[in-house]
Amino acid sequence: MKNLEELKKIRERVKKDLELRTGKHRIKIVVCLGTCGIAAGARETMNTLIDLIAKNDTSDTIVTTAGCAGFCEQEPMIQIYIEDKEPVVYGKVDPKAAEEIFEKHILKGEIVEKYLFSKGK
Amino acid sequence: MKDLADHLFDILENSVKAGATEVKIILGIKDKKFFCKIEDNGSGIKDEDVTDPFVTSRKTRKVGLGLPLLKRAAESTGGFLKIYNSEKGGVILEFETDIAHIDAKPFGDIARTFVDAIYSWPKVSFDIFVQQKNNKKLSIFDSKKIKGIVNYSEMQQKEVRDFIYDSIDRELKKIGIDYQFGIF
Repeated sequence: MKNLEELKKIRERVKKDLELRTGKHRIKIVVCLGTCGIAAGARETMNTLIDLIAKNDTSDTIVTTAGCAGFCEQEPMIQIYIEDKEPVVYGKVDPKAAEEIFEKHILKGEIVEKYLFSKGK
Repeated sequence: MKDLADHLFDILENSVKAGATEVKIILGIKDKKFFCKIEDNGSGIKDEDVTDPFVTSRKTRKVGLGLPLLKRAAESTGGFLKIYNSEKGGVILEFETDIAHIDAKPFGDIARTFVDAIYSWPKVSFDIFVQQKNNKKLSIFDSKKIKGIVNYSEMQQKEVRDFIYDSIDRELKKIGIDYQFGIF
């Protein structure tokens, strides 16, 4: 690996930026990345969500991953956990659907019925 | 699975699911054949044929398709897939595909696969090497070195992710692993 010096410089910039917005994560989005999810394009969905978080500066939201949830035909699936609210699961979330869900559910708190798979535990 | 990048991500997930904390990956191209060796320190495999779709460790359903699909993709080009326990207790997986074969899958974005893996499983150390023409191994990514510089939340930032992506992608392209079928 080369360029570790360059990484150090990037780190200094990023560190300052992070210090400005320290806060707790209020929203967690879980992308299912089992074999079924991967084959259905879930990595694209995940990267779309990560980019949307950066673009909208919603630093209270994180994206994590999980394995197969057992509903492979619904992949790519995402689960959304918002503090003090029931978890919501969406199915067949391609990048376009991810954008819509992000805009409505993450930013405004509205459930997007079109892609809804289940509500509650 | 539309490309080798997806397959690669899938087998990395197998290692993580088997409890691996260290995963070593070697990639290379020789005589128009792409080969990949992955060594982990996970729980290993029991005495069973894991490339059989009806053998799986998961409990949500009774089939596992990841390895059989990759095996088929490799063999359909005249290549192979081998998986066996290492002496240290983890698993070694090797596969080779003929990238000039008509049935070969494109590489896809392999650098993105690694960035996604590093993002998805921050506790796992990934060590990535490319095999150069003179048979020497070149380290192109070392989780431990990176973690000595950036912490977990810094690693999640776009600028750091882009840096890691570019530094891996540049080295992969040098040995001919390009988005499509490589440079000959």
